[in-house]
Amino acid sequence: MTEILRRHILGAGVAFAGTVAMPAILRAQTGPIKLGTLTPLTGSGGSYGPSMATTVKKAADEINKAGGVLGRQLLIISEDDQTSPEAGLRAARKLIDIDKVSAIIGTWASAVTTAVVPVCSQSGVFLSTVSGAEPITLLPHQGFLIRTQPTTTLQGTKFGEFALGANAKTVAFVSPQTPFTDSQFAALTKTVTAAGGKTTSLIYDDKKTTLRTEVDQVLRGKPDAIVMGGYTNDTAVLVRDLYRANYRGSLFGFGYSVNKQLVDALPPDVSEGIYTLSPSPAEGSNAYKNVSRLLGVDSPDTYSCQVYDHLNLIAMAMAVGKGDTGTIIKDNVRKVSQGGGERVETAVDGLKLIADGKKVDYDGASGPCDFTDIGDITDAKFRYEQVKGGKITLLKIA
Amino acid sequence: MLTYILFMLVVGSIYALLAQSLMLSWGLAGLVNLGLAGFFAVGAYASAMLTTWEHTPIVVGVSAAVLAGGFAGLLVCFSTLRLRDDYLAIVTLGFAEIVRIVASNEVWLTGGTDGISGVPVMIARDTGVWFHLGTLLITVAAVILVYGLQRRLLASPWGRALRAVREDQTVASVAGKSIVRFKAQAFSLAAAIAGLAGALYGHYTSYVAPDQFQPLITIYIFLAVTAGGNARPAGAVLGAYLLVAFLEATRFLAEIAPGVTALQAAALREIAVGIGLVIVLTLRPDGFLPERSQKAPVV
Repeated sequence: MTEILRRHILGAGVAFAGTVAMPAILRAQTGPIKLGTLTPLTGSGGSYGPSMATTVKKAADEINKAGGVLGRQLLIISEDDQTSPEAGLRAARKLIDIDKVSAIIGTWASAVTTAVVPVCSQSGVFLSTVSGAEPITLLPHQGFLIRTQPTTTLQGTKFGEFALGANAKTVAFVSPQTPFTDSQFAALTKTVTAAGGKTTSLIYDDKKTTLRTEVDQVLRGKPDAIVMGGYTNDTAVLVRDLYRANYRGSLFGFGYSVNKQLVDALPPDVSEGIYTLSPSPAEGSNAYKNVSRLLGVDSPDTYSCQVYDHLNLIAMAMAVGKGDTGTIIKDNVRKVSQGGGERVETAVDGLKLIADGKKVDYDGASGPCDFTDIGDITDAKFRYEQVKGGKITLLKIA
Repeated sequence: MLTYILFMLVVGSIYALLAQSLMLSWGLAGLVNLGLAGFFAVGAYASAMLTTWEHTPIVVGVSAAVLAGGFAGLLVCFSTLRLRDDYLAIVTLGFAEIVRIVASNEVWLTGGTDGISGVPVMIARDTGVWFHLGTLLITVAAVILVYGLQRRLLASPWGRALRAVREDQTVASVAGKSIVRFKAQAFSLAAAIAGLAGALYGHYTSYVAPDQFQPLITIYIFLAVTAGGNARPAGAVLGAYLLVAFLEATRFLAEIAPGVTALQAAALREIAVGIGLVIVLTLRPDGFLPERSQKAPVV
């Protein structure tokens, strides 16, 4: 072994050991309360995760400025799940074992959430997610899981009703393969066939750069409406190819994929008329305005709104339970989210009331935030929008 | 802290198995195998399906994974007999993508993108730290076993002939060696090792899904083998553990970097991995442990 190499290895080893040892020194019961965010900062979810992490960090700063939780500051540690269950699991282990977080906020891809759930529930760490796939809340999580995203079955039903409302009889469902594709299509079909219509489905590979053959195949069935189940990048490809193929029926997409980014990337006449559906953030609520202010944007996305609510709920649950463990959050989160009490929209207000011994009921930026026993939200409003002249305009909230 | 280190050592051991697989097919037989993630997936699925749905013992599942990996290797090898270098690389990359796409779409067979959750574990989970420690011992034992096997094979006439095939097929076949047989044996054995890695990974994390087997994992292993030395089992093993240590160390380094947002830290980590590779290849083009030239045996 050469001298240079030996020094390199030694140096790297010392640097690694040194950094690993560091958090041990900082660890103390009286120190800050640590919470982790695990959002996709790179990979296919990379367009959603950064603003989620920023929202949580800034919201925690505001709680800290107002005195923190139980007199302790919140410390947010952000990790990247790389939109991959393998990398996400490694990041989760680091948050749990090294940083000793009490809760992990914001897992986005359903596969990542499924990989992380057993680790969290086993380590007694609370997990709040924005993944929509049906089976997630059915995993054996022992109560350590909540999600604010409506299940995909509900979204499929709403899509069906939306399409029927636009006088569609033949509805094509075009989507990449995801953990919620099947349940969504089933719910859509049920709604549309009940009204005498019919549906077809086509699964495409979301890594392809052109979907021309898929589009030709879909159009052969002459659908009045096409429901697009993908994410921003692949939906942009699909919309473009549908335009080239001269499709003139109506298009429906998720609000998270047909977003400002997509509309800005395509010429106005390509995106003209696309209907979108998304779980409605409680627009007009103070919580929503707060997220908008924290991020410095007019209409924050649903995921940022949801993680804002996660942080507020977790902060207040710890205050009510007078402790900082995942188990305390699990046992108390429903005491601050539902069941009557003074209505609050930020943790800053809620924490003051809790300190005065009052009961609170949190209504957040993403909606009322009430949970069932397995961790699903009980009530969700949807936001119906349409792209007009290169702008996303609101049709209704219902 | 302890759990975290044990977890990373298990991941490192899984990577070490994959690295040894790649060392055998790429470093020794000269077959560029970009389909590593595919064989990894075949093994993981074979064992997970048997043990989770058919409730067979884990030993049976793992053995089936090794066989399934080896068989898949044989299949890929025979369908690419006339390909070398770049062409073989492209076809094997295609194989890995086929496995991933079949796993996502053939819901009746694999459970689709939901994956298979609740895969039985080798040591009971509620034993706390023993779960990680026990699994670590098992995976390290597998690494040592494969390492011993490879050392033995390399020192044997078989290993010499394999290197001859790598260096010059024509010369080797003139010397009376069956190129096809050597390639098929090496490739199939390599794929079987990757299958073993997949099975152990599934039985540790309890979850197998198509998204786990993206090409990224193949790239990581190429990185590990390149850094460690691509023609020595010890190099592959060393490279794999170093890679995991490096990947995790960048996490902490990015955290203490002043004034960067979470997004910038994530990008910095990816940059660090790239720079790391460039540095290693500049300073040690043959990796940390380059191939030793073997003297001809004294007659």
